[in-house]
Amino acid sequence: MSFITDLLNIIGNFIHGIIQSIFGFSPFLVDAITMGLAAVILCTFAAVSFMGLTYVERKLVARIQDRVGPNQAGPVGLLQPIADGIKMFTKEDTTPAAADRWVYNLAPLVIAVFALTTYAVLPFAPGIVGTNLNIGAFYVLAIGSGSIIAIIMAGWGSNNKYALLGAFRTVAQLVGYEVPMLLNVLPVIMLAGSMSLIDIIDHQTLANGGTGIPNIVLLPFCALVFLISGIAETARSPFDLLEAESEIVAGFHVEYSGMKFALFFLGEYVNALAVAFMFTVLFLGGYAGPILPPYVWMLLKAAAVFTVFMWLRGTLPRIRVDQMHNMNWKFLVPASIVNLILVMILLKLFPSDAALAQANGGILVTPAVQAGILFASNLVVMLGALAIAARRARGARLAEEEMLAARRAENMAAAKA
Amino acid sequence: MTLQLILFFVFSLVVLGAALFVVTSRNLFRSALMLVLSFFGVAGLYVLLDAGLFAVAQILIYIGAISILIIFAVMLTRGMQGMEPRNSQYVGAAVVAALVFAGMLFILGPFRVTFDPQSVPLLNLIFRNATPREVGAVAWPYALEQAGALRVVPETYIADFGRALVDINQYLLPFLLIALMVDVALAGAVHIARQRRPQEMIEDRQELEAEIASEQAAIEALQRSAAPALPDTAVAAGNEH
Repeated sequence: MSFITDLLNIIGNFIHGIIQSIFGFSPFLVDAITMGLAAVILCTFAAVSFMGLTYVERKLVARIQDRVGPNQAGPVGLLQPIADGIKMFTKEDTTPAAADRWVYNLAPLVIAVFALTTYAVLPFAPGIVGTNLNIGAFYVLAIGSGSIIAIIMAGWGSNNKYALLGAFRTVAQLVGYEVPMLLNVLPVIMLAGSMSLIDIIDHQTLANGGTGIPNIVLLPFCALVFLISGIAETARSPFDLLEAESEIVAGFHVEYSGMKFALFFLGEYVNALAVAFMFTVLFLGGYAGPILPPYVWMLLKAAAVFTVFMWLRGTLPRIRVDQMHNMNWKFLVPASIVNLILVMILLKLFPSDAALAQANGGILVTPAVQAGILFASNLVVMLGALAIAARRARGARLAEEEMLAARRAENMAAAKA
Repeated sequence: MTLQLILFFVFSLVVLGAALFVVTSRNLFRSALMLVLSFFGVAGLYVLLDAGLFAVAQILIYIGAISILIIFAVMLTRGMQGMEPRNSQYVGAAVVAALVFAGMLFILGPFRVTFDPQSVPLLNLIFRNATPREVGAVAWPYALEQAGALRVVPETYIADFGRALVDINQYLLPFLLIALMVDVALAGAVHIARQRRPQEMIEDRQELEAEIASEQAAIEALQRSAAPALPDTAVAAGNEH
C-alpha cells in the first residue's frame, strides 16, 4: 500500500485525528462529525461533477454533430457551467398562481435528495464508501424509484395540464424500465452471492478470492439491458421523449424556472452519473485495476460509461413512445426473464465453488469454464431474442405492405373503371 | 435517552402525524403524499430494528409502487378537485380500528393468558392433541433492552430470510401461493390490456372499409335513382374514394 493508493484513507484519518485532538470530543461525536463531512464532500462531488459533465457533454455532442459548442465564456468555453449557474440563480423564480405551493416547492428538493442519497453506498476505493450496506445494490434501485414521487409532485403541483400529462408519461416510462433493470442486476447478485457492492467488486477481482473476470464478460446480455434501461430510467436521449427539447415545450417541469429547474436538471444528471457508477461496479469490476490507484480506476471507468451515454445521445434519433414501451415490455422484460432462469439453472449445474458443489450437487468447474458457459448462454439468449423480435417485426411489416398493395390495386382498378 | 430512542420517537411521530394528516385532510392528493411520508417513517423504524432489507423493500414496494398506484387512482378520479370526500362509515371504521389495536396491544403488550383449545367448541375438533398454552406477551425490543437482553440481529439474516422462504417446513407454501396470485393478476392485466395483432387489426380495417364501400354504393344507387339527370355527382363521389 503506497501513499498514493491510500491517499483518500490517509486524508480521512488525518481529518478524524485533527477533530479528535483539537476539540477533544467523544469518539461518537468525532465519528458523527467526520461522517457529516464525508456526506457534504460526496454531495459536493456529485454537484461539481454535474457542472463539469454538462460542459463536457455539450462540447462532445457538439463535436459529434459538427458544431463547436460553448466557446464564449472563458478559454474554450470552460466557464460556461459557472455562467449557467449565475444565470440560474438570477432568473426570476416564478410560481403559477393556482399552484399547490407546498407540493410545487418541495418537488425539486425531493428529486435532488433522492438523487444524492444514492451516493451513500457507492464504493470509490477500498474503505472509501459512505456505508457498506449488505443490501447496497437493492438500496440503489429502491432509492432510484423514489424520484418518481417527486415527478408526480411536480406535475400535480404545477396545476398545469401539460405538466401533469408529462408527469404521467414520465412515470409510465420510469416504472416500466425499472423491471428489466432489476431483472438484470439479479444474475450479478447471484454470481457474487451478496448484494453488497463491495462484495460484488471483490467477486470480480483476484485479490480477495474472486475470479478476476469482470461481469461484463460473463453476462454481456445483462450488461447491455442494464445500460439500456439505465439510460431510459434517467430519461436521457434517445429515451428523452418526455422532455424532447426540440419538439415539445418540456415535460413535468414546464412551470419551473431558475434554481428549481436547475435542481431538476441536477437530479437527472446526478442520477445518470449514479447509473454509470452502478454499471462500473456491477459489470466492470468497480475500482479494481492495475498500476493506477483504485479511486482513479473507479472514476475512469465511470467516465467511460458516461461517455457512452453522451455518444448515444449525440448519434441516436429519439424513439417514439409506443416503440419505447413495446421494446421494454415485449422485448427486454421477456428476454431478461429467460436469461435469468437460464443463469439460475447454469449456476446450479456448473458451480465453481467447491462447498456449493458439495452441498447442492452439480458439476464442479473452474471459474473460467463457468464464465465461458455463462457467456455462451448469454449470447444465445441475446441472439435468439433479437431473431424472434426481428421475425415478428418483419411479419408485421409484410402484412402491412400486403394490405397497402391490395389497396393500391383496388385504387388502380377504381381509377381505370 | 439513547440516540436510538430519540430516533424511534422522531420516526413514530412522523408515522403517526402523517397518518393523522392522511385521514383528516380534505385534499386527496396531499393525503396520498402524506401517506408516502408515513411509509418513509416506517422504513426508518425498520432501519432502527437493524432490518435494512425490509426498510429498502418498504421504499421500493410501498413508495415506489403502491403509493404511485394510489396517486394515479386519485388523480384519474374524475372531479377530485374541489370535491370534499365525505365518509358515513366512520363509526364502523373506528370500531374495527379499535378492535385491531386492542388485538395488537394484547399480542405485543405485557399480557399473558392461558388458552385451552379444548374449551372452544370448533377448535377442539381441529386441534385434538393441543394442550393449554400461554398466549400473548411478545416482549417489546425496548423492554428487552431495558432488561439487559440486547437483541442481536445475525449477520446472515438476509440469507436466513431467503432460506425460510424456500424451506418446505417454513414459508414455501405461502410464498408459492403469493407468486401464483401475482402471476394470475399479471396474466389478467395483460389479457385486458392486450393489443390486437396486426393481422386482426388489418381484418377489422378491411371489414370497416367494406362496410363503408357498401354504404357508398348504396348512396350512389340512391342518388342515381333519385337524380338520373345529374351524372356529375355520381362521378365525383366515385373519384373521391
